[in-house]
Parts: sequence; structure tokens; C-alpha cells
Amino acid sequence: MSVTDSMSAVRPDLIEKVTGRAEYVTDLVIPGMLHGFVVRSPATHARISSIDASVARSVPGVVDVLIGADVVSFGCWGVVLKDRPIMAIDRVRYVGEPVAVVIAETIEIAEVAAELVDIAYDELPHATTIREAMMADAPLIHEHHENLEDFYFKGGARPTPSSNIFHTYRNDVGDVDAAEAVAAYVHEDHFTFPAISHFAMEPHAVIADFQGDSLTVWAGAQTPTAVQKVLSRLFGLALAKVRVIVPFVGGGFGGKASVKIEPLVAAASWKVRRPVRVAQSMAESMLTCRRLGADITIRTAVDANGRILAKSARLLLDGGAYSDTGSAVATKSANRIMGPYVVPNMRLEACAVYTNTIPGAAFRSIGGPQAVWAKESHMDNVAAAIGMDPTEFRMLNLASRGERIRPDLRALDMDMSELIGRVTRSFAPDAQPSNRKAHGLALAATDPANTPISNAIVRLKIDGSILVSVSSIEVGQGAHATMAQIAAQTLKQKVSAVTVLRSDTAVAPYDWGTGASRSTVVVGLSVESAALDAADQILDMVAEVWELPRDGLSLVEGGVSTGPDVLTFHQIFHRSLGVDSGEVVGRGAITPRSKKGSLAESPLFWETSAALAEIVVDEETGEIRVPRYASAADVGRVINRVAAEGQDEGAAVMGLGHALHEALEFEDGQPVNATPIDYSIPRITDVPPSFDTILVENGDGPGPGGAKGMGEGAILPVAPAIANALFAAYGIRITDLPMTPEKVWRALQKRN
Amino acid sequence: MTQVLAISFSLNGKTIAVDVPAHMLLIDLIRDRLDLKGTKRSCDMEVCGACTVLLDGEPISSCTTLAVDVDRLDVTTIEGVTPPDGLSPIQQAFVLHGGLQCGFCTPGFIMAVTALLKTTPHPTDAEIRHYLDGNLCRCTGYTKIFEAVKSLAGRQDAA
Repeated sequence: MSVTDSMSAVRPDLIEKVTGRAEYVTDLVIPGMLHGFVVRSPATHARISSIDASVARSVPGVVDVLIGADVVSFGCWGVVLKDRPIMAIDRVRYVGEPVAVVIAETIEIAEVAAELVDIAYDELPHATTIREAMMADAPLIHEHHENLEDFYFKGGARPTPSSNIFHTYRNDVGDVDAAEAVAAYVHEDHFTFPAISHFAMEPHAVIADFQGDSLTVWAGAQTPTAVQKVLSRLFGLALAKVRVIVPFVGGGFGGKASVKIEPLVAAASWKVRRPVRVAQSMAESMLTCRRLGADITIRTAVDANGRILAKSARLLLDGGAYSDTGSAVATKSANRIMGPYVVPNMRLEACAVYTNTIPGAAFRSIGGPQAVWAKESHMDNVAAAIGMDPTEFRMLNLASRGERIRPDLRALDMDMSELIGRVTRSFAPDAQPSNRKAHGLALAATDPANTPISNAIVRLKIDGSILVSVSSIEVGQGAHATMAQIAAQTLKQKVSAVTVLRSDTAVAPYDWGTGASRSTVVVGLSVESAALDAADQILDMVAEVWELPRDGLSLVEGGVSTGPDVLTFHQIFHRSLGVDSGEVVGRGAITPRSKKGSLAESPLFWETSAALAEIVVDEETGEIRVPRYASAADVGRVINRVAAEGQDEGAAVMGLGHALHEALEFEDGQPVNATPIDYSIPRITDVPPSFDTILVENGDGPGPGGAKGMGEGAILPVAPAIANALFAAYGIRITDLPMTPEKVWRALQKRN
Repeated sequence: MTQVLAISFSLNGKTIAVDVPAHMLLIDLIRDRLDLKGTKRSCDMEVCGACTVLLDGEPISSCTTLAVDVDRLDVTTIEGVTPPDGLSPIQQAFVLHGGLQCGFCTPGFIMAVTALLKTTPHPTDAEIRHYLDGNLCRCTGYTKIFEAVKSLAGRQDAA
């Protein structure tokens, strides 16, 4: 069986999807279901002076209208800072904030009646950019900061009282001032990075059904147990009474992580005591969350030989109107601006700042693209300033395998020079840049927050079929298929014998969630452990009932080998239990103490990537084309090659969008282009015709079979690799993304 | 008062006669009234291609087409190109090449490729890219979609 032939065997989800049979939230119909339409704030920052929903309520077919006054008693929620009401109560903090939900028999009625909800606003002074929000006299977007320590991530935020800064992270190593004092050269740069829309093809959609003291939610949620926890706390329900079901999810990229519109839809169902569905439009989802924009100052000191003596970075992240996980994004951006280099002295500071704009959220490699954009563009600037070849400058300063790039983080578990070699060789034989074609290199080593907490259940049934229950969601990455493969391999059964259940907190045991490249490693290990537990039980059963030595028994396809004979699972259960039925239930758990505590150190593995971009610039228009691109990642071990390549290709093209096209723009807090017409993501014609995806396998990861996590690394080096190619060919340095034709053309004109 | 019109059209080879409000969109007719959920709603603005269906063999966006405008015409959805057992060659190619991840854009892509290969059984690389420029995918980076379609470009039985 070739690699591609195995795809249909190992990815049953693809069969469902390619035929249109796969069910997403909007394909579900819950009996008695009503439809909610969200009325949103048109104001950037305003006090709500009045809401009159009486006319809307009187429209035939409208069941009720949920407004802020209904939800006051539930208080606020959050996952790091408790800063967010279920919907705007007396004040709106961004354009697009939910102010009312019209609940009706049909979505058409709800949408028409929404026009009749009469809301008056009194404008407040606003702060819509990092700079405005950090001014001494800036209006406070939140007056108080309430930290939820260890709620979602370990630790919490560090807000500055009476300011819009909701988190500051600092990490100092050595003595930067002393190092700079003796340096041969010190170079400083400033970069900016815009807000970016997740643009998952499936907009956010949730159905909530409040019945008595229990709540069932169908959501395209990446972290169902976080949704369950937040809803449990908000509505005062036992965790066991809150059920979160996640059917197929049409793309997430972090935009469906933590908690998004679930509390709002749950409150609508609570109000009418019937199931309510809110299916957002793509434009509404663009108003729901976005990647944090950034303003980054970075400085490097080198000695006369080009060795880095010190690095300092200050990263300001635009967190939007509510914090969500913006504090973690800021912390990670500081961690992701260092490596993979040896830097003996470091001064890192990252702040997350509230602004009156769409709330920031996790997005594929949180804080990573922002940091790597600045760090790798800066590396080429430093190299140029000291007259060194940028690749040589990187090689000279590269941290090797086993070296720590910061004392508090796990030693590097990979060899970056191998990745550089692989992308360089990919461009051979015509590897030399020409007048027309320029090359740029960029590297990244990031620390995924993979949170080693997971549980899995693997049930082996009398007929040899296997059920796997995990909380990991299937969002296209192939997590369910990966879990099936791990269970099948561990139990020595065919993968077709394994069924992975749809994510459902009523069935699946606790897991932290789907994100941060963690599922293959952390959930995979818990599935492996559950499968081993099931194997132990069945082997013990044979040893006991057949009175055979345990160490002479082994699993084979369809049963247990005793050496001379094979007992089928059917024979084993029948004789052991006396009836023709039964199963063993294997349980697997991963905690920070698992594997002798080796999973506790952060990061669990380094997510790494190297990329080489070839660009051609149309000097008349400033348009950049990327005819050739090579991307390499160290993934430890590939479990499904097609799926793994697909992850990196998708990440790289998303990175291409960040590099050349995408920016969610605001004018005084008003979104300028938050619609699918005005905002462009890459199309098939934008993809480099020559695209090499290289996956390095050394079997040295902590996951099953030596796997590391992947899927977030390849987005990181794209923009700086292209910018470095532009710099190499034309000597122009773009410092704010995206590198639009206009920006490039203006830079070319200025140079001439 | 909303005007209601009687229309009759062929849906996946079956004649359908329904009364529809004049403003009803084809996507709502297909998904909500006729319960064919394979066609996906994404952008609502005819820019992403997720809701693509074939109208007399031509790909159109069902999110911006009025249901009344398909009167007496021939509509094909993803359900209409899926064999009762198994997969069409196009669907098979997408699975084998990994030309999909989350799957939300996939029915639209399958319909667009169906239309492409019907009129152009042996498309060039440029023709494939040009034809699929109106279908957005946020997951795959398109490389494996392109490979899937390219694998069909030389085949006789593809469409």
C-alpha cells in the first residue's frame, strides 16, 4: 500500500467530508430549536443610555430579546482575567460587541426584528491603538483587573493597576548593559505587525439547550472542557451537568479556542428555555476575534567576530477590548523572539494592552509570527550592518542540540543547521540568486504551551472492534485518525477496527484542549497508555483463565497469541465471562508527573522551522511573487505523512497571507475591511508553484513513536524570509506587514 | 406581503416542485427546505466558493442565487455527484492526495472541479489554478488540492 493509498484507510473523516455528509454545527437540527440574531455595537466605546426591545419583541415569530440587563447577575467571565460580561451591559468597548440577541422561530424573523431593537449610545473617549491605550491620560477600557490564577493556563496575568496594560512579562538573563558596553556593534530595529483575521471557512456557530439544571452545547470549540468550565461557573451548574458536544469543526486556527460565543448563546437559551442556535456570518466572525497586532523594538549587540553578546526586545501586543488569552500571547511572543541562537545576555519584556477594538485571541503559534517577523528581519539587518552574510551570521550564533537558549526552558531537542541544510539543498541545483530572483532565509524555534494534562479511554470489545474516547476535536488536522492509528498500533490491530467517538464531554474524559501542537504528543501518549492498559487487562484475563504464564502471551491481530495458538477476543471474553459478551476498558492519563516528570519541563518539545523563499518583484507595481519556497520542520516522527505535510503547507500559505495580503484594519476603532469581500486570504494562484515541504524525522520526540507536535512552525518564517529576500535584492527593508505592492513600490521609489 | 412563487427544477436528477418566497436564496432552499446539508454556507457574499453548486453544469454560488432563478433549470449539489456507494474519481483523488482538512470548503471544490473536468478534461496547470481561483481554502495551502486535480487531468473517466 502506498502512502497515498493508505489515506482512505486512515482518515475516515475525509470520506465524510468529501461527500458532504460530515456534520458541522450548522448541519444539526435540535427539536424545538430557535434562532438567535445578534445585535452588535456600532460604537467604538460608549455608554448604553437606553435599550428598547419592545417593538422587536412584538414581531410575530419573535420569542424574546436577550439584553444586558438579563445577564447582570451572572457577572463576568474570562479564562485568564475575569473581564468579560456575557454581553454588553451598560457599556460597549468595541464595534461588533453583542448588545442584544433577538430570538425567533426563524433566522429571517430574528434578523428583521433586530433592526427594531432601539439602542441609544453616549460616546466615550476611546483608545484604539497600542500608542493611544498607553498614553498617560488614556481612557481606561477596564477599571479593575481580576486575575483567575491557574484557570486555563498555569499562572495568570500581571496587570498594571489603573492602566490599559493587562499583562506584563519580563525575563532578564545576564547583564545586557554590560554586554552592550563592550560590544563592537549594537543595532536596533522597530517592527509592527497588524491584527489578522482567522478566517476559518466555518464561521462560529453554537446551539445551546438549557433544560432545568443542565445545559447542552453544540459548538465548534477547540477546547470543549474550557467551554464547560466557564459555562459551569457562569450559570452555577455542576460540571457534570454541562455537556459540550463538538461535531466536525470547519477550521479553528485558535479562533475557536478558549471560549467565544458559547456564554452568549447559552444565556439566550436560558432566557427562553428552549434550544437556541446562533450561526454567525463570516463577517460577524471577523468581528468576534483576531490575532493580536504588535509593536516590537529589538536590539542586538555583537562582538567584533559577529557573535551575539546581548539581545533585548520590547513587545507591545494589541489585545483588543477583552483579554481572552492575550496575556499568554504576550508571554509567548517574548519567548519566541530569542532562538534558535546562543544569547548570553537577554532583556525581554512583553505587554498586552487593551484597546477599543475586536478582542484578540489565540492564533496559530500564539505570539510567534509577530516575534519571528521582527527577530528574523532584524538578524539580516544586523548581518548587513556588520558586513556578514546573513546565513553565516546565523550559523555562527546557532544554538546546538542540547543547548539551552534560556536557562528556564528545556534544552533544544533538534539541530537547526540540519534544517538550514535541507532547505538550502532543496533550492539546488540553480541555487544562486540572480538579478531577477532573490533568496531570503528565516528560522524559528518556539515553545508550544502543550500542557501535559490529558485522559483517554480505549475499549476493546469482544468482536475485536475498538472505541477511543478523547476530548480532542477533529478540525481537519486529523487528530482522530492519529488517535486511531496510535490505538491500533499499540493493540496490534487493524486501524479499520478503531472508531474514535465524536468529541463530547459527557463521554470523553478530561483533556486540556486542541491547540498548541499538543494533541499528537499529549493526547497521543494518553491513548497509548489507555491502549496498553486495555492490553494488560486482556492478557491478564488469558493468563488467569487459561493458566498460562503472562510473559508468553502477546497481542496479535484479532486476539492473543499463546505461542502455539491464537485465541480470538471472542473466545477469551466468552470463556472468561461465561457469556458471549464483554469488553475491557483501558484508561490512560497524562499528568505533569507522568514519565517520571519528564513532561513537566517547558516546552515539551521545540517546534522548529526553517524556510527559504525565492521572490520576484515587479518593479513597476511593487508586487512580490514567490515562485519557489522550501519549508523544513523537525517533527520527530511522522504518523501520517500526507496529513503532516498538509499541516505545514497550510501553515506556510497562511504565513504567505500574513506576509503579503492580510491586515484587519481599523479607523478610530471602526473595522475598515472586516468582511470577506474586503479582506483577502491567499488563493490557489498565490501559492508558490514550486513548494517543498521537508519533514525531518529523528524519532526523538516525547510522543508516541518519537513524534513531536507540529502544524504551527511553518507559519513563522514566511514573512521574514520574503522580507529578507527583498532586502538582499533591493536593499529595502519593510518593517510593517503586510508587504503590499504599494508599500514595496514606495520603498523602491524612495531608494531610487 | 412576501410574494410566493411556484418553481419546478431538477435537483440531482429529480424533479422538485416547491413554492418559495421571491427573496429566498438557493442555499436556504437546498439546505433548510430540502434538507441537503452538504452544500456549505461560508462568506454569504459570493467570494469563497464553499456553497458552489452546478446550474445547468456551470458552477454558481448558491448563497447569492435566488431560488426562483433556478426555475426549470438543472441543479446539481455535492449529493448529486456522490455515488450511492463509495466516491467519485474526483472525491477519491481529494482523499488520496489529502486535498482537504477541515472539509468545509470541500463540497464547493468538488463541484468546481466537476465542472472544470467536464468542459476541460485535460486542463493545464494554469487552467487548474485559474479555474479554482474563486474557491477559498484556509487549511490546506492548496498544494494538495492542486495535486489531486492534476492527478485527474490526464484521466479519461475523471468527470
